[in-house]
Amino acid sequence: MLRYVLRRLTLLIGIVWVISVGSFYLIHLLPGDPATVILGTGASPANRAILYRQLGLNKPIIEQYFVWMGNILHGNLGTSFISETSVASTIRTALPIDVELIVLSQILAFAAAIPLAMRSARKPNGVLDRILSAGSFTLLSIPSFIIIVLLVLVVSIKLGIANTGPSSYVSLGSDWVVNLESLALPAFTLAVGSFVIYFRVLRSDLIATLQEEFITMARSKGLRQRRIMWRHAFRPSSVALLGAAGVNIGGLLAGGFVVEYLLGIPGLGYTLITGIASSDYLLVQGIVLVVSVGVVLINFVFDFIISVVDPRITRE
Amino acid sequence: MSTQLLVVDDLHTTFRTAAGLVAAVGGVSFDLATNETVGIVGESGSGKTVLARTIMGLQPRSNVEVRGSVLLDGHQVVGASEREMRERWATDVSMVFQDPMTSLNPVMRIGRQIDETLRVRLGMDKRAARARAIELLAMVGMPSAEHRYRAYPTQLSGGMRQRVVIATALACSPKLLIADEPTTGLDVTIQAQILNLLDDLKEQLHMSVILITHDLGVVATRTSRIIVMYAGRIVEMGATRDVFFRHRMPYTRALLESSPKVSNPSHTRLRVIPGRPPNLSTLTSGCAFAPRCSSASERCHQERPSLEPAEEPGHVFACWHPLAATELHEAPR
Repeated sequence: MLRYVLRRLTLLIGIVWVISVGSFYLIHLLPGDPATVILGTGASPANRAILYRQLGLNKPIIEQYFVWMGNILHGNLGTSFISETSVASTIRTALPIDVELIVLSQILAFAAAIPLAMRSARKPNGVLDRILSAGSFTLLSIPSFIIIVLLVLVVSIKLGIANTGPSSYVSLGSDWVVNLESLALPAFTLAVGSFVIYFRVLRSDLIATLQEEFITMARSKGLRQRRIMWRHAFRPSSVALLGAAGVNIGGLLAGGFVVEYLLGIPGLGYTLITGIASSDYLLVQGIVLVVSVGVVLINFVFDFIISVVDPRITRE
Repeated sequence: MSTQLLVVDDLHTTFRTAAGLVAAVGGVSFDLATNETVGIVGESGSGKTVLARTIMGLQPRSNVEVRGSVLLDGHQVVGASEREMRERWATDVSMVFQDPMTSLNPVMRIGRQIDETLRVRLGMDKRAARARAIELLAMVGMPSAEHRYRAYPTQLSGGMRQRVVIATALACSPKLLIADEPTTGLDVTIQAQILNLLDDLKEQLHMSVILITHDLGVVATRTSRIIVMYAGRIVEMGATRDVFFRHRMPYTRALLESSPKVSNPSHTRLRVIPGRPPNLSTLTSGCAFAPRCSSASERCHQERPSLEPAEEPGHVFACWHPLAATELHEAPR
């Protein structure tokens, strides 16, 4: 077990290093000269040289990388030329919003997917299973920007429920009730996509598990169906579910931008879009770095959970 | 009879499949006394496992039709709901499954797999169940049982896993233990250990045992009676001695001849039964063994023989052309 975790950890550090090199290099691939962006097109060569020295751009690229890396390790992602605020502080305000949104959506998705998958798997191709499978497939084919628009149309506009429409976001700290109300529709929208994935993955694994001999043996021990489902079938069926959840949640970290942008929720996705639109390269670089590391970390955590849930994985 | 723990009467189990009806068990009747061990033998596909699961009421409910009667300790199993059977499994009847590689939950510690039945069925508290589970593990010969209590199935060998399966089956002291080919997946040396263990436990716990196998060697010394099944029916049944030495049904002889014997000279070719077991969805009105039987006549193909008594008490066989009883004082080569 310990060896498994150490091996994964080494891999993790390697991946993060590759990401850091990638995002450092990203800024050098961009067209245009930072001096032109900052000083404008009419800047004199002397001023440009001073700026280059200030920014450290006159040093060799390897040295630039280490300076940059050192800053990042100290939590300094640079200062945006556009907004003239620290990139790290911008991310620090945006990231918790995504975390909250993801937590809410995942609670909804799992709370719906697990019991429904169990019901479905009990009688495969039964009435309920057919309805749920067809329904989830339909949901899968509706993109999130359609779902959120429909939800806003019905819930905020037709039903007139306050604080659910666009631009109603307030932070968790200032008013948590309004905050939850404003995140309800986006969380639900993100939950729909997650639910469909989790439901389908878990359902098919449960159906396979329930045909295993150890389930018959559990029945022959006189256990109730509920206990068999939760204690015997769920755990061995949840490996693919957890793997899917890791990938999916990582994707939501930046992938929630559509609903964030449509509802004006200032999360990472929203900030990324505005950063790209205003050519705020340092901000984009910072977000890309944070999101990439976040995705890797989330998957690392889920790999670890999987190895606890299914002890066969660390052994084989 | 009140001494009979199990009375099976004209039991049919029919599966509704896409290919039509499959009569896996077609009219089986036998009984089993308290503290008796009976062996059920037959080739793969002869309906042994389905019979065992039907007796236990463990057959899935959908697409299966069960007719006839199974009286277990005076209570009817056929038609009983899962809820009713749940009250009887583990305490009245339990099963040792065939393959210990697949019958234990791979992601659950073995101790918990044993003590959950104690807690659910006998209402033991956590501590008592744990103590009893370790006791059971020790009883089935698990070395350092206390330590192994926390092991996962994948950390144990096949033989050790089968001991866990047996310990689980015995946890609630069942009156009837059905062992469905309990040694098929194991090494030969382990097979004998497991069978001896079952034998000892049966004496110790005063259980009745149904021992299902395709290997006559397994049942020879461990059963009082043997039931020979073919294509879902009993074709011969009698005291173990009589079935071995005075069998009348050609299929029984074929089964006996197909198992190797120490007394054979080296490099003796094993006799095999020609052909293969019949497709249970296309059974004819005749004797199911007729297509593979050397002494089959026209009548065998047309008309199914019913079980007729032989000379010895309790010995019955179903054959139009039985082997002569007098020739068979010795086991065939």
